[in-house]
Amino acid sequence: MRYETVIGLEVHVELATQSKIFCSCHAKYGAEPNAHVCPACCGMPGMLPVVNKRVVDFGMKAGMMLNCTINRTTTFDKKSYYYPDLPCAYQTTQWFAPVAVNGLVEIETSKGKKNIRIKQIHMEEDAGKLVHDIGADVTCVDFNRTSVPLIEIVSQPDLSSAEEVEAYLERLKNLLRYAKVAECAMEHGTMRCDVNLSVRPEGSDQLGVRTEMKNMNSIDAIKRAISYEVARHIDAIENGTEVLIQETRRWDDIKGKSYSMRSKETAGDYRYFPDPNIMPVVIDDAWYNAIQASLPEFPEVKRARYISELGLSEYDAAQLTKSIAVCECFEEAYAVCKSAKDAANWLLSEAMSILSSRKMTPDRLSVNGKSLGELIQLVTGGKVGRANGKKILDAMFDDANLNPAEYAEQNGLIVSNDTGLMEQVAKEVLAGEEKAVADFRAGKEKALAAILGKCMKQLKGNCNPQVLREFLISEIGKM
Amino acid sequence: MDKDTLRKLELLNQLSLNETQKEHVLAFFQSREQELAVLNTFNTDDVARMVHVMPIMTVVRDDVAAQPFSRDDLQKGAPETNQGYWCVPRVVE
Repeated sequence: MRYETVIGLEVHVELATQSKIFCSCHAKYGAEPNAHVCPACCGMPGMLPVVNKRVVDFGMKAGMMLNCTINRTTTFDKKSYYYPDLPCAYQTTQWFAPVAVNGLVEIETSKGKKNIRIKQIHMEEDAGKLVHDIGADVTCVDFNRTSVPLIEIVSQPDLSSAEEVEAYLERLKNLLRYAKVAECAMEHGTMRCDVNLSVRPEGSDQLGVRTEMKNMNSIDAIKRAISYEVARHIDAIENGTEVLIQETRRWDDIKGKSYSMRSKETAGDYRYFPDPNIMPVVIDDAWYNAIQASLPEFPEVKRARYISELGLSEYDAAQLTKSIAVCECFEEAYAVCKSAKDAANWLLSEAMSILSSRKMTPDRLSVNGKSLGELIQLVTGGKVGRANGKKILDAMFDDANLNPAEYAEQNGLIVSNDTGLMEQVAKEVLAGEEKAVADFRAGKEKALAAILGKCMKQLKGNCNPQVLREFLISEIGKM
Repeated sequence: MDKDTLRKLELLNQLSLNETQKEHVLAFFQSREQELAVLNTFNTDDVARMVHVMPIMTVVRDDVAAQPFSRDDLQKGAPETNQGYWCVPRVVE
Protein backbone atom coordinates (compact mmCIF):
# COMPACT_ATOMS: atom_id res chain seq x y z
CA MET A 1 0.00 0.00 0.00
CA ARG A 2 1.19 3.52 -0.70
CA TYR A 3 1.08 6.10 2.09
CA GLU A 4 1.07 9.86 2.27
CA THR A 5 2.55 11.96 5.02
CA VAL A 6 0.59 14.73 6.71
CA ILE A 7 2.63 17.38 8.52
CA GLY A 8 1.68 20.52 10.39
CA LEU A 9 4.25 22.81 11.96
CA GLU A 10 4.25 25.03 15.01
CA VAL A 11 7.11 27.47 14.58
CA HIS A 12 8.28 29.59 17.51
CA VAL A 13 10.11 32.76 16.53
CA GLU A 14 11.82 35.08 18.96
CA LEU A 15 10.98 38.69 18.16
CA ALA A 16 13.74 41.26 17.69
CA THR A 17 12.72 43.60 20.50
CA GLN A 18 14.90 45.39 23.01
CA SER A 19 12.82 44.46 26.03
CA LYS A 20 10.65 41.56 27.17
CA ILE A 21 6.98 41.18 26.33
CA PHE A 22 5.47 42.16 29.71
CA CYS A 23 8.28 44.03 31.50
CA SER A 24 11.16 46.29 30.54
CA CYS A 25 13.98 43.81 31.24
CA HIS A 26 16.51 43.35 28.42
CA ALA A 27 15.53 40.66 25.94
CA LYS A 28 19.07 39.99 24.73
CA TYR A 29 21.00 36.78 25.35
CA GLY A 30 24.41 36.20 26.76
CA ALA A 31 24.17 37.83 30.18
CA GLU A 32 25.10 36.38 33.56
CA PRO A 33 22.37 34.12 35.03
CA ASN A 34 19.38 36.16 36.20
CA ALA A 35 20.97 39.49 35.27
CA HIS A 36 17.92 40.43 33.17
CA VAL A 37 15.12 39.83 35.60
CA CYS A 38 12.63 41.82 37.67
CA PRO A 39 9.75 40.98 40.00
CA ALA A 40 7.36 40.73 37.02
CA CYS A 41 9.28 38.15 34.97
CA CYS A 42 10.25 36.30 38.16
CA GLY A 43 6.57 35.83 38.92
CA MET A 44 6.64 37.58 42.26
CA PRO A 45 3.21 38.13 43.83
CA GLY A 46 1.43 41.35 43.03
CA MET A 47 3.38 42.21 39.88
CA LEU A 48 1.34 43.06 36.82
CA PRO A 49 2.32 42.66 33.17
CA VAL A 50 2.41 45.68 30.82
CA VAL A 51 2.34 44.82 27.12
CA ASN A 52 5.29 45.88 24.94
CA LYS A 53 3.77 47.74 21.97
CA ARG A 54 6.51 46.59 19.59
CA VAL A 55 5.57 42.96 20.23
CA VAL A 56 2.06 43.70 18.98
CA ASP A 57 3.55 45.68 16.06
CA PHE A 58 5.68 42.68 15.12
CA GLY A 59 2.83 40.21 15.61
CA MET A 60 0.68 42.25 13.23
CA LYS A 61 3.52 42.69 10.77
CA ALA A 62 4.24 38.96 10.72
CA GLY A 63 0.54 38.34 10.18
CA MET A 64 0.40 40.74 7.26
CA MET A 65 3.54 39.20 5.70
CA LEU A 66 1.82 35.80 5.87
CA ASN A 67 -1.46 37.08 4.39
CA CYS A 68 -3.36 36.68 7.65
CA THR A 69 -6.44 38.49 8.91
CA ILE A 70 -5.49 40.66 11.88
CA ASN A 71 -7.76 40.38 14.91
CA ARG A 72 -8.43 44.04 15.71
CA THR A 73 -9.21 43.04 19.30
CA THR A 74 -6.68 40.53 20.49
CA THR A 75 -6.44 39.08 23.99
CA PHE A 76 -3.99 37.24 26.19
CA ASP A 77 -4.74 34.04 28.07
CA LYS A 78 -3.11 31.90 30.74
CA LYS A 79 -1.94 28.40 29.84
CA SER A 80 -1.45 26.24 32.92
CA TYR A 81 2.06 24.87 32.89
CA TYR A 82 3.63 23.67 36.09
CA TYR A 83 7.39 23.55 35.67
CA PRO A 84 10.12 25.67 37.29
CA ASP A 85 11.19 27.40 34.06
CA LEU A 86 7.99 29.48 34.25
CA PRO A 87 7.74 30.97 37.73
CA CYS A 88 4.03 31.86 37.53
CA ALA A 89 3.10 28.19 36.85
CA TYR A 90 1.35 29.40 33.70
CA GLN A 91 2.48 30.81 30.38
CA THR A 92 0.89 34.01 29.18
CA THR A 93 -0.08 33.30 25.59
CA GLN A 94 -3.03 33.78 23.23
CA TRP A 95 -5.72 31.18 22.80
CA PHE A 96 -9.13 32.75 22.29
CA ALA A 97 -8.25 35.74 20.07
CA PRO A 98 -4.72 35.46 18.62
CA VAL A 99 -3.28 38.47 16.85
CA ALA A 100 -3.49 36.95 13.35
CA VAL A 101 -5.53 34.13 11.78
CA ASN A 102 -6.22 32.42 8.46
CA GLY A 103 -3.06 33.17 6.48
CA LEU A 104 -1.46 31.66 3.41
CA VAL A 105 2.17 31.06 2.45
CA GLU A 106 3.24 30.01 -1.02
CA ILE A 107 6.18 27.60 -1.21
CA GLU A 108 8.08 26.24 -4.18
CA THR A 109 9.66 22.78 -4.39
CA SER A 110 10.86 20.49 -7.17
CA LYS A 111 7.18 19.55 -7.64
CA GLY A 112 6.11 23.16 -8.20
CA LYS A 113 4.26 25.75 -6.18
CA LYS A 114 1.92 25.00 -3.29
CA ASN A 115 -0.07 27.07 -0.79
CA ILE A 116 0.28 26.30 2.92
CA ARG A 117 -2.53 27.61 5.10
CA ILE A 118 -1.67 29.37 8.34
CA LYS A 119 -4.13 28.66 11.13
CA GLN A 120 -2.95 31.44 13.43
CA ILE A 121 -0.09 33.50 14.78
CA HIS A 122 -0.13 34.17 18.49
CA MET A 123 2.12 36.19 20.78
CA GLU A 124 3.49 34.64 23.94
CA GLU A 125 6.33 34.64 26.44
CA ASP A 126 9.29 32.30 26.34
CA ALA A 127 10.22 30.08 29.30
CA GLY A 128 13.40 30.27 31.37
CA LYS A 129 16.38 27.97 31.25
CA LEU A 130 17.01 25.04 33.59
CA VAL A 131 20.52 23.83 34.41
CA HIS A 132 20.82 20.38 35.98
CA ASP A 133 24.55 19.91 36.40
CA ILE A 134 25.57 22.55 38.96
CA GLY A 135 24.20 21.19 42.23
CA ALA A 136 23.73 17.51 43.04
CA ASP A 137 20.20 17.64 44.40
CA VAL A 138 18.89 20.78 42.80
CA THR A 139 17.92 22.21 39.44
CA CYS A 140 19.22 25.72 38.81
CA VAL A 141 16.93 28.25 37.17
CA ASP A 142 17.88 31.22 34.99
CA PHE A 143 14.95 33.55 34.26
CA ASN A 144 16.80 35.76 31.73
CA ARG A 145 14.85 34.18 28.88
CA THR A 146 11.53 34.14 30.74
CA SER A 147 9.10 36.56 29.09
CA VAL A 148 11.28 37.13 26.04
CA PRO A 149 8.67 37.72 23.30
CA LEU A 150 7.81 35.00 20.83
CA ILE A 151 5.30 34.50 18.09
CA GLU A 152 4.09 31.00 17.36
CA ILE A 153 3.08 30.40 13.75
CA VAL A 154 0.71 27.45 13.49
CA SER A 155 0.20 25.92 10.06
CA GLN A 156 -2.63 23.71 8.94
CA PRO A 157 -1.54 20.11 8.18
CA ASP A 158 -0.86 20.96 4.52
CA LEU A 159 2.75 19.80 4.28
CA SER A 160 3.51 16.35 2.95
CA SER A 161 7.29 15.91 2.75
CA ALA A 162 10.59 16.95 4.27
CA GLU A 163 11.29 18.98 1.11
CA GLU A 164 8.07 20.96 1.59
CA VAL A 165 8.88 21.51 5.27
CA GLU A 166 12.29 22.89 4.33
CA ALA A 167 10.78 25.17 1.68
CA TYR A 168 8.14 26.37 4.15
CA LEU A 169 10.68 27.15 6.90
CA GLU A 170 12.97 28.95 4.45
CA ARG A 171 10.00 30.96 3.21
CA LEU A 172 8.99 31.93 6.76
CA LYS A 173 12.56 32.93 7.57
CA ASN A 174 12.82 35.03 4.44
CA LEU A 175 9.53 36.86 4.97
CA LEU A 176 10.11 37.54 8.66
CA ARG A 177 13.65 38.78 8.02
CA TYR A 178 12.38 41.06 5.25
CA ALA A 179 9.93 42.53 7.76
CA LYS A 180 12.76 42.78 10.32
CA VAL A 181 10.61 41.29 13.03
CA ALA A 182 13.00 38.45 13.87
CA GLU A 183 16.45 37.05 13.30
CA CYS A 184 15.05 33.55 12.67
CA ALA A 185 18.41 31.83 13.26
CA MET A 186 17.68 28.20 14.10
CA GLU A 187 21.33 27.72 15.09
CA HIS A 188 20.91 30.42 17.76
CA GLY A 189 17.57 29.06 18.95
CA THR A 190 15.67 32.14 17.78
CA MET A 191 13.54 29.92 15.56
CA ARG A 192 12.33 26.55 16.84
CA CYS A 193 9.91 24.13 15.37
CA ASP A 194 7.45 21.50 16.60
CA VAL A 195 6.65 18.91 13.94
CA ASN A 196 3.21 17.25 14.03
CA LEU A 197 3.21 14.21 11.76
CA SER A 198 0.95 11.34 10.77
CA VAL A 199 0.68 9.00 7.81
CA ARG A 200 -2.37 7.60 6.05
CA PRO A 201 -3.15 5.48 3.00
CA GLU A 202 -2.79 7.57 -0.14
CA GLY A 203 -6.11 9.17 -1.08
CA SER A 204 -7.67 8.68 2.36
CA ASP A 205 -9.40 11.66 3.97
CA GLN A 206 -8.95 10.27 7.50
CA LEU A 207 -5.94 11.48 9.47
CA GLY A 208 -3.69 8.87 11.09
CA VAL A 209 -2.36 8.87 14.65
CA ARG A 210 -0.40 12.09 15.15
CA THR A 211 2.89 12.42 16.97
CA GLU A 212 4.66 15.64 17.82
CA MET A 213 8.41 16.25 17.95
CA LYS A 214 9.23 19.36 19.92
CA ASN A 215 11.89 22.08 19.81
CA MET A 216 13.66 21.11 16.61
CA ASN A 217 16.26 23.74 15.76
CA SER A 218 17.95 22.58 12.56
CA ILE A 219 16.37 22.05 9.16
CA ASP A 220 18.65 19.08 8.47
CA ALA A 221 17.67 17.48 11.79
CA ILE A 222 14.00 18.11 11.01
CA LYS A 223 14.39 16.37 7.64
CA ARG A 224 16.09 13.37 9.26
CA ALA A 225 13.45 13.22 12.00
CA ILE A 226 10.62 13.30 9.46
CA SER A 227 12.18 10.43 7.47
CA TYR A 228 12.57 8.38 10.64
CA GLU A 229 9.06 9.06 11.90
CA VAL A 230 7.42 8.30 8.55
CA ALA A 231 9.23 4.94 8.42
CA ARG A 232 8.30 4.20 12.05
CA HIS A 233 4.61 4.98 11.46
CA ILE A 234 4.43 2.87 8.29
CA ASP A 235 6.23 0.00 10.00
CA ALA A 236 3.78 0.16 12.89
CA ILE A 237 0.78 0.19 10.54
CA GLU A 238 1.98 -2.55 8.20
CA ASN A 239 3.88 -4.86 10.54
CA GLY A 240 2.35 -4.07 13.91
CA THR A 241 5.79 -3.38 15.40
CA GLU A 242 4.19 -1.04 17.93
CA VAL A 243 0.89 0.61 18.75
CA LEU A 244 0.92 4.24 17.63
CA ILE A 245 -0.44 6.66 20.18
CA GLN A 246 -0.87 10.41 20.17
CA GLU A 247 2.22 11.55 22.03
CA THR A 248 5.06 14.02 22.24
CA ARG A 249 8.44 12.64 21.18
CA ARG A 250 12.02 13.82 21.49
CA TRP A 251 14.35 13.58 18.50
CA ASP A 252 17.92 12.45 19.25
CA ASP A 253 19.87 13.60 16.21
CA ILE A 254 23.06 11.80 17.23
CA LYS A 255 21.37 8.42 17.55
CA GLY A 256 19.00 9.18 14.66
CA LYS A 257 15.98 8.05 16.69
CA SER A 258 12.91 9.55 18.31
CA TYR A 259 11.87 8.68 21.85
CA SER A 260 8.55 8.97 23.63
CA MET A 261 8.46 11.88 26.10
CA ARG A 262 4.86 11.94 27.27
CA SER A 263 1.33 11.40 26.06
CA LYS A 264 0.19 14.46 24.14
CA GLU A 265 -1.59 17.14 26.09
CA THR A 266 -4.76 18.51 24.61
CA ALA A 267 -6.08 22.05 24.93
CA GLY A 268 -8.22 20.93 27.88
CA ASP A 269 -5.14 19.84 29.82
CA TYR A 270 -3.75 23.36 29.66
CA ARG A 271 -6.91 24.89 31.14
CA TYR A 272 -6.66 28.06 29.11
CA PHE A 273 -8.50 31.03 30.55
CA PRO A 274 -8.46 34.76 29.81
CA ASP A 275 -5.69 36.58 31.65
CA PRO A 276 -7.50 38.97 33.99
CA ASN A 277 -4.31 41.04 34.38
CA ILE A 278 -4.14 42.11 30.75
CA MET A 279 -7.04 43.98 29.22
CA PRO A 280 -7.88 43.40 25.54
CA VAL A 281 -5.44 44.93 23.04
CA VAL A 282 -7.55 47.01 20.65
CA ILE A 283 -5.89 47.84 17.33
CA ASP A 284 -7.46 50.99 15.96
CA ASP A 285 -7.32 52.10 12.31
CA ALA A 286 -4.35 54.43 12.84
CA TRP A 287 -2.26 51.66 14.42
CA TYR A 288 -3.28 49.10 11.77
CA ASN A 289 -2.58 51.48 8.88
CA ALA A 290 0.81 52.49 10.31
CA ILE A 291 1.91 48.86 10.42
CA GLN A 292 0.58 48.19 6.95
CA ALA A 293 2.47 51.22 5.63
CA SER A 294 5.69 49.93 7.18
CA LEU A 295 5.62 46.60 5.35
CA PRO A 296 8.67 45.99 3.15
CA GLU A 297 8.70 45.30 -0.56
CA PHE A 298 7.99 41.55 -0.81
CA PRO A 299 10.77 39.32 -2.23
CA GLU A 300 8.82 38.51 -5.42
CA VAL A 301 8.08 42.18 -6.10
CA LYS A 302 11.71 43.08 -5.52
CA ARG A 303 12.87 40.26 -7.79
CA ALA A 304 10.55 41.40 -10.60
CA ARG A 305 11.75 44.99 -10.19
CA TYR A 306 15.40 43.96 -10.36
CA ILE A 307 14.68 42.22 -13.66
CA SER A 308 12.43 44.84 -15.28
CA GLU A 309 14.00 48.05 -13.99
CA LEU A 310 17.65 47.14 -13.41
CA GLY A 311 18.07 44.63 -16.21
CA LEU A 312 19.37 41.80 -14.04
CA SER A 313 19.01 38.20 -15.14
CA GLU A 314 16.31 36.10 -13.52
CA TYR A 315 19.04 34.02 -11.84
CA ASP A 316 20.87 37.01 -10.34
CA ALA A 317 17.61 38.60 -9.16
CA ALA A 318 16.53 35.33 -7.53
CA GLN A 319 19.87 34.87 -5.78
CA LEU A 320 19.98 38.45 -4.47
CA THR A 321 16.43 38.40 -3.11
CA LYS A 322 17.00 35.28 -1.03
CA SER A 323 18.31 37.54 1.71
CA ILE A 324 17.20 41.02 2.72
CA ALA A 325 20.74 41.77 3.98
CA VAL A 326 22.12 41.07 0.50
CA CYS A 327 19.34 43.10 -1.15
CA GLU A 328 20.03 46.11 1.04
CA CYS A 329 23.77 45.93 0.35
CA PHE A 330 23.09 45.56 -3.38
CA GLU A 331 20.76 48.57 -3.51
CA GLU A 332 23.21 50.78 -1.60
CA ALA A 333 26.10 49.69 -3.81
CA TYR A 334 24.06 50.23 -6.97
CA ALA A 335 23.11 53.74 -5.84
CA VAL A 336 26.82 54.60 -5.79
CA CYS A 337 28.33 52.64 -8.69
CA LYS A 338 25.26 52.92 -10.98
CA SER A 339 25.89 49.47 -12.43
CA ALA A 340 23.41 46.85 -11.26
CA LYS A 341 25.29 44.09 -13.07
CA ASP A 342 28.62 44.98 -11.42
CA ALA A 343 27.01 45.28 -7.99
CA ALA A 344 25.27 41.93 -8.42
CA ASN A 345 28.47 40.27 -9.67
CA TRP A 346 30.55 41.53 -6.76
CA LEU A 347 27.96 40.36 -4.26
CA LEU A 348 27.11 37.02 -5.80
CA SER A 349 30.65 35.96 -6.61
CA GLU A 350 33.23 37.77 -4.47
CA ALA A 351 31.14 38.53 -1.36
CA MET A 352 29.51 35.07 -1.34
CA SER A 353 32.93 33.46 -1.68
CA ILE A 354 34.21 35.39 1.35
CA LEU A 355 31.05 34.55 3.31
CA SER A 356 31.54 30.89 2.50
CA SER A 357 35.20 30.92 3.55
CA ARG A 358 34.16 32.52 6.83
CA LYS A 359 31.36 29.96 7.29
CA MET A 360 28.78 32.74 7.38
CA THR A 361 25.30 32.76 5.86
CA PRO A 362 24.24 35.63 3.53
CA ASP A 363 22.05 37.05 6.29
CA ARG A 364 25.23 37.79 8.25
CA LEU A 365 26.52 40.05 5.46
CA SER A 366 27.78 43.15 7.24
CA VAL A 367 29.50 44.95 4.38
CA ASN A 368 28.55 48.59 3.98
CA GLY A 369 26.78 48.81 0.61
CA LYS A 370 27.91 52.37 -0.04
CA SER A 371 31.54 51.32 0.48
CA LEU A 372 31.04 48.36 -1.83
CA GLY A 373 29.77 50.77 -4.49
CA GLU A 374 32.89 52.89 -4.05
CA LEU A 375 35.08 49.79 -4.33
CA ILE A 376 33.34 48.78 -7.56
CA GLN A 377 33.99 52.28 -8.92
CA LEU A 378 37.69 51.95 -8.05
CA VAL A 379 37.93 48.64 -9.90
CA THR A 380 35.88 49.55 -12.96
CA GLY A 381 37.75 52.87 -13.15
CA GLY A 382 41.06 51.00 -13.33
CA LYS A 383 42.39 52.44 -10.07
CA VAL A 384 42.46 49.07 -8.30
CA GLY A 385 42.95 45.65 -9.89
CA ARG A 386 40.19 43.08 -9.41
CA ALA A 387 42.41 40.79 -7.32
CA ASN A 388 43.28 43.65 -5.00
CA GLY A 389 39.63 44.66 -5.00
CA LYS A 390 38.85 41.26 -3.49
CA LYS A 391 41.45 41.87 -0.78
CA ILE A 392 39.82 45.20 0.05
CA LEU A 393 36.37 43.55 0.16
CA ASP A 394 37.71 40.95 2.55
CA ALA A 395 38.94 43.74 4.83
CA MET A 396 35.51 45.39 4.57
CA PHE A 397 33.99 42.29 6.20
CA ASP A 398 36.06 43.05 9.31
CA ASP A 399 35.44 46.79 9.33
CA ALA A 400 32.06 48.08 8.20
CA ASN A 401 33.39 51.66 8.22
CA LEU A 402 36.40 50.93 6.03
CA ASN A 403 36.94 53.46 3.24
CA PRO A 404 38.09 51.42 0.22
CA ALA A 405 40.06 54.25 -1.44
CA GLU A 406 41.96 55.09 1.76
CA TYR A 407 42.60 51.42 2.46
CA ALA A 408 43.93 50.87 -1.08
CA GLU A 409 46.21 53.89 -0.75
CA GLN A 410 47.52 52.90 2.68
CA ASN A 411 48.20 49.31 1.63
CA GLY A 412 49.78 49.98 -1.76
CA LEU A 413 46.89 48.54 -3.73
CA ILE A 414 46.41 51.42 -6.15
CA VAL A 415 47.26 50.62 -9.77
CA SER A 416 50.63 52.14 -10.56
CA ASN A 417 51.01 54.65 -13.39
CA ASP A 418 54.73 53.84 -13.51
CA THR A 419 54.95 52.44 -17.07
CA GLY A 420 58.73 52.17 -16.74
CA LEU A 421 58.38 49.57 -13.98
CA MET A 422 55.72 47.70 -15.95
CA GLU A 423 57.93 47.59 -19.05
CA GLN A 424 60.93 46.42 -17.05
CA VAL A 425 58.98 43.60 -15.37
CA ALA A 426 57.33 42.58 -18.66
CA LYS A 427 60.68 42.31 -20.46
CA GLU A 428 62.23 40.27 -17.64
CA VAL A 429 59.29 37.83 -17.60
CA LEU A 430 59.28 37.48 -21.41
CA ALA A 431 63.00 36.71 -21.37
CA GLY A 432 62.37 33.67 -19.18
CA GLU A 433 59.27 32.42 -20.96
CA GLU A 434 60.55 31.39 -24.39
CA LYS A 435 58.19 28.42 -24.63
CA ALA A 436 55.13 30.44 -23.64
CA VAL A 437 56.08 33.11 -26.19
CA ALA A 438 56.43 30.44 -28.88
CA ASP A 439 53.07 28.92 -27.89
CA PHE A 440 51.36 32.29 -28.11
CA ARG A 441 52.87 32.89 -31.53
CA ALA A 442 51.52 29.47 -32.52
CA GLY A 443 48.01 30.66 -31.59
CA LYS A 444 47.65 29.54 -27.98
CA GLU A 445 45.91 32.46 -26.26
CA LYS A 446 46.27 30.79 -22.85
CA ALA A 447 50.05 31.16 -23.06
CA LEU A 448 49.67 34.94 -22.99
CA ALA A 449 47.42 34.69 -19.94
CA ALA A 450 50.17 32.78 -18.12
CA ILE A 451 52.75 35.45 -18.96
CA LEU A 452 50.30 38.17 -17.95
CA GLY A 453 49.69 36.41 -14.63
CA LYS A 454 53.40 36.22 -13.83
CA CYS A 455 53.83 39.94 -14.59
CA MET A 456 50.83 40.85 -12.43
CA LYS A 457 52.21 38.75 -9.60
CA GLN A 458 55.54 40.59 -9.71
CA LEU A 459 53.74 43.92 -9.91
CA LYS A 460 51.53 42.84 -6.94
CA GLY A 461 48.45 43.48 -9.03
CA ASN A 462 49.13 47.21 -9.22
CA CYS A 463 48.95 47.46 -12.95
CA ASN A 464 46.21 48.01 -15.48
CA PRO A 465 45.90 44.51 -17.03
CA GLN A 466 44.66 45.86 -20.37
CA VAL A 467 47.64 48.19 -20.76
CA LEU A 468 50.01 45.39 -19.74
CA ARG A 469 48.42 42.97 -22.18
CA GLU A 470 48.80 45.36 -25.08
CA PHE A 471 52.43 46.01 -24.13
CA LEU A 472 53.19 42.26 -23.95
CA ILE A 473 51.67 41.64 -27.40
CA SER A 474 53.67 44.53 -28.80
CA GLU A 475 56.91 43.21 -27.25
CA ILE A 476 56.31 39.66 -28.46
CA GLY A 477 55.80 41.11 -31.93
CA LYS A 478 59.25 42.68 -31.76
CA MET A 479 60.98 39.49 -30.54
CA MET B 1 -24.19 16.60 37.91
CA ASP B 2 -24.82 13.22 39.50
CA LYS B 3 -23.78 11.75 42.84
CA ASP B 4 -20.82 9.92 41.36
CA THR B 5 -19.40 13.12 39.81
CA LEU B 6 -19.96 14.94 43.08
CA ARG B 7 -18.05 12.22 44.94
CA LYS B 8 -15.07 12.68 42.56
CA LEU B 9 -15.16 16.45 43.01
CA GLU B 10 -15.15 15.97 46.77
CA LEU B 11 -12.03 13.84 46.50
CA LEU B 12 -10.27 16.23 44.14
CA ASN B 13 -11.01 19.25 46.30
CA GLN B 14 -10.40 17.45 49.58
CA LEU B 15 -13.93 18.17 50.80
CA SER B 16 -16.13 16.19 53.13
CA LEU B 17 -19.77 17.14 52.60
CA ASN B 18 -22.64 15.87 54.73
CA GLU B 19 -25.84 14.61 53.09
CA THR B 20 -27.64 17.95 53.39
CA GLN B 21 -24.75 19.81 51.82
CA LYS B 22 -24.59 17.27 49.03
CA GLU B 23 -28.27 17.76 48.27
CA HIS B 24 -27.77 21.53 48.14
CA VAL B 25 -24.78 21.24 45.81
CA LEU B 26 -26.56 18.79 43.53
CA ALA B 27 -29.64 20.96 43.38
CA PHE B 28 -27.52 24.02 42.63
CA PHE B 29 -25.65 22.38 39.73
CA GLN B 30 -28.77 20.75 38.31
CA SER B 31 -30.43 24.16 38.26
CA ARG B 32 -27.41 25.64 36.41
CA GLU B 33 -27.52 22.79 33.91
CA GLN B 34 -31.15 23.59 33.17
CA GLU B 35 -30.23 27.22 32.58
CA LEU B 36 -27.41 26.21 30.27
CA ALA B 37 -29.75 23.96 28.33
CA VAL B 38 -31.99 26.97 27.71
CA LEU B 39 -29.02 29.16 26.71
CA ASN B 40 -27.84 26.50 24.28
CA THR B 41 -31.08 26.75 22.34
CA PHE B 42 -30.06 30.21 21.06
CA ASN B 43 -28.18 30.50 17.78
CA THR B 44 -25.04 32.54 18.48
CA ASP B 45 -23.24 31.88 15.19
CA ASP B 46 -23.20 35.54 14.17
CA VAL B 47 -22.65 36.96 17.63
CA ALA B 48 -19.17 38.34 18.31
CA ARG B 49 -17.36 36.82 21.24
CA MET B 50 -17.29 38.99 24.35
CA VAL B 51 -13.63 39.69 25.04
CA HIS B 52 -14.13 41.47 28.33
CA VAL B 53 -17.03 42.28 30.62
CA MET B 54 -16.17 45.99 30.47
CA PRO B 55 -15.44 48.16 27.42
CA ILE B 56 -11.80 48.76 28.34
CA MET B 57 -8.51 48.12 26.63
CA THR B 58 -4.96 47.58 27.78
CA VAL B 59 -2.26 50.21 27.90
CA VAL B 60 0.94 49.42 26.07
CA ARG B 61 4.47 50.59 26.75
CA ASP B 62 7.31 51.54 24.38
CA ASP B 63 10.01 48.98 23.72
CA VAL B 64 12.71 50.50 25.93
CA ALA B 65 14.91 48.18 27.95
CA ALA B 66 15.94 48.95 31.51
CA GLN B 67 17.22 47.02 34.48
CA PRO B 68 16.01 48.71 37.66
CA PHE B 69 16.36 45.64 39.90
CA SER B 70 19.53 43.90 41.00
CA ARG B 71 19.74 40.14 41.08
CA ASP B 72 21.01 40.14 44.64
CA ASP B 73 18.00 42.12 45.86
CA LEU B 74 15.60 39.82 44.04
CA GLN B 75 17.24 36.72 45.47
CA LYS B 76 17.27 37.93 49.08
CA GLY B 77 14.15 35.90 49.88
CA ALA B 78 15.22 32.82 47.96
CA PRO B 79 15.63 29.62 50.04
CA GLU B 80 18.66 28.62 47.98
CA THR B 81 20.80 30.15 45.22
CA ASN B 82 23.99 29.04 43.50
CA GLN B 83 26.22 31.11 41.18
CA GLY B 84 23.36 33.52 40.49
CA TYR B 85 20.77 30.81 39.84
CA TRP B 86 17.66 30.15 41.85
CA CYS B 87 17.73 26.56 43.06
CA VAL B 88 14.63 24.36 43.09
CA PRO B 89 14.19 20.67 43.91
CA ARG B 90 15.73 18.62 41.14
CA VAL B 91 13.27 18.03 38.29
CA VAL B 92 15.17 15.35 36.37
CA GLU B 93 16.73 12.11 37.59
